[in-house]
Amino acid sequence: MTFANLTTGVNQKVDASLAPIPAQLAGGAAPVALVGVAPVALTGVAPVALTGIGIAPSHHGELIQGVFEEGGRLHRGLLTLPCSLFGSRAEICLQQDEPELTVNPGWKSKALAAAHAMLARVGLPGFGGRLTLHSTIEVGRGLGSSSSDVIATIFAVLDAVRLRLSAEEVARIAVEVEIASDPLMFDRMLLFGQREGRVIEDLRRPMIPVEVLGFSFADEELDTLAFAPARYTVWEIECFRAMRGLLRRAVAYGDLVSLGRIATASAQINQRFHLVPHLSRLLGIAGESSALGIQVAHTGTIAGLLFDPADPELDRRLAVAARGLRALGITETWHYTARSDGHGRCDDAS
Amino acid sequence: MAAVTTLRKPYDDVVDGNVLPKIIELGPTLYGAAFHLMKLLPARFILQRALERGELEPGVTVAETTSGTFGLGLAIECRLRGHPLILVGDPVIDGPLRRRMEALGARVSIVSASALRGRDVQSARLERLAYFQSRLPCYFTPCQYDNPDNPASYGVVAELLLETLGQVDALVCPVGSGGSSSGIGAFLRAVLPDLRLIGVDTPGSVLFAAPAGPRLLRGLGNGLLPQALDHRLFDEVHWIAAPDAFAATRALHAGQCLFMGPTSGAAYHVAAWYAWTHPGERVVAVFPDEGHRYAGTIYNDVWLRRHSLLREPARAPRTVDHPAEVSGPWTRFVWNRRSREEILRLVSGAA
Repeated sequence: MTFANLTTGVNQKVDASLAPIPAQLAGGAAPVALVGVAPVALTGVAPVALTGIGIAPSHHGELIQGVFEEGGRLHRGLLTLPCSLFGSRAEICLQQDEPELTVNPGWKSKALAAAHAMLARVGLPGFGGRLTLHSTIEVGRGLGSSSSDVIATIFAVLDAVRLRLSAEEVARIAVEVEIASDPLMFDRMLLFGQREGRVIEDLRRPMIPVEVLGFSFADEELDTLAFAPARYTVWEIECFRAMRGLLRRAVAYGDLVSLGRIATASAQINQRFHLVPHLSRLLGIAGESSALGIQVAHTGTIAGLLFDPADPELDRRLAVAARGLRALGITETWHYTARSDGHGRCDDAS
Repeated sequence: MAAVTTLRKPYDDVVDGNVLPKIIELGPTLYGAAFHLMKLLPARFILQRALERGELEPGVTVAETTSGTFGLGLAIECRLRGHPLILVGDPVIDGPLRRRMEALGARVSIVSASALRGRDVQSARLERLAYFQSRLPCYFTPCQYDNPDNPASYGVVAELLLETLGQVDALVCPVGSGGSSSGIGAFLRAVLPDLRLIGVDTPGSVLFAAPAGPRLLRGLGNGLLPQALDHRLFDEVHWIAAPDAFAATRALHAGQCLFMGPTSGAAYHVAAWYAWTHPGERVVAVFPDEGHRYAGTIYNDVWLRRHSLLREPARAPRTVDHPAEVSGPWTRFVWNRRSREEILRLVSGAA
């Protein structure tokens, strides 16, 4: 199942929440989209079943991950490489006086925690019911399976109560339940503080489309939330500062060459904390296939060689790169065009 | 998406307002990064990092040996942050510079001529510094020549260059402590691996393995080897003699209306030649300070003539096979990202 399959049947896309809010939920409030939710008044109303569906895509690791200054302080931050090949779909059915909220599959405790946090957030603490997750994202590879489940669940609860929150607010809730979250609630380029759930710098542009030849550089599954945060030196922190200057320009001008160089530099700096085996060989393959650069999942086992999707020689370059990877023993590869796909269904508060 | 306007706001203080260079177009492919006073950058950065690490506490005395603009940077930063400052200089310290540092509350101690008799200036200065340190209960010494935070402080300059220009093919930078050249060069090269780093030195300086000797041009080159300087970053090194640097400084003013100091003139001279001989390459020259201190000297024909420094600058460098051959108005050596030891071995191999 692909991310596109997951989206079918979702009753709330970008504009769906502009639909009239049911009177019993709106509690007499004006029927407008609510940002910053007030507790929903339900007293004196017969028990109703609230159902909602939420979806969130996977990602393909990061184009840059490091430490960035904002407001005179340093923040851990990243720029996610979007990937809609995979995704999570959450379905929730809520009922008043239901004693328990259960999740299926039962081990998705982070998603369950997100549902509980959302019920408290929207003022339905007495509700229980059933949360079901369908995910096509492999766990432990750095594709954002956990974040995707959590964000899909948050969207499902919002859908069930016909409310919306800003992406910034969704990010804060996701980080509360997850310690670190990927910015899958946004659908544009930004430096995201994954441990604070806040935007460090909004680059305010959709993702520059880039062709990704993805592969796995290790076989074992990793507990991606158990990664110890990298301790960067002063020199590395200042290097991220310089890279951020180029990032602004690359995004403003749609400059894929610079974007590829930024990704490569980030992979090299983070090599000290998250070892990608044979990185110099991989860089050699990038050179031979005229790739723009290499990006890695900084908490995972996948990486990607980046190419210009408009390059007339693209197919040949992809073949050269795949051959090089096979010579390194990497037989499984996949490729797709990373872009903003319109999944952002939050209000953009900023 | 709504248009974004960045609301301008006041600078926090004078360092905040003056710390970054202005990137100015000087030709179709030539840009200058013109600083008001470049050393504000390492002065602030070194003290901030030291505060964060607990090596410096509020109110603690800062003591450094310097006769140049790093002292002025420290004087401004220490004044703003309330640190007493002791600067140990040598007798050739520039009078107006000394008065400015003292006006900012710094204690400037000059190593006397008698203390210098029969020994090198630097060890006399270090001895005087040690004397002050021994009398202080606690102190912080920035050690700009050997402090890795000196080159690291230039990340903001690389950020600015990358944001405003994106691609830079060659960076031409005067070298003194090695902080700006090694810092900007290394940070740019992290994302521009093909960047050519061109160091500008002066005859008599030992930085790049040329013969030691007296240096007429202050602020360029060095009599010692600072650890902040990473030789393996450099592709080319040029040695510019004082009269040529002065003439180029005047040309930068007369031709571009940029009123800068002599190290800027030296960088401009090399950068203009490099841009001319490498059409299509985007060249950035670093200009470390403004010309006010030199109004009575470099910008004064009478002074230049009296010191026989008024002459047309050389139009092209003389390229040599080894830095041991450095002499004359303008020498060039292809360094090729080698270590200083590798270059020195070359000479013994040839001998």
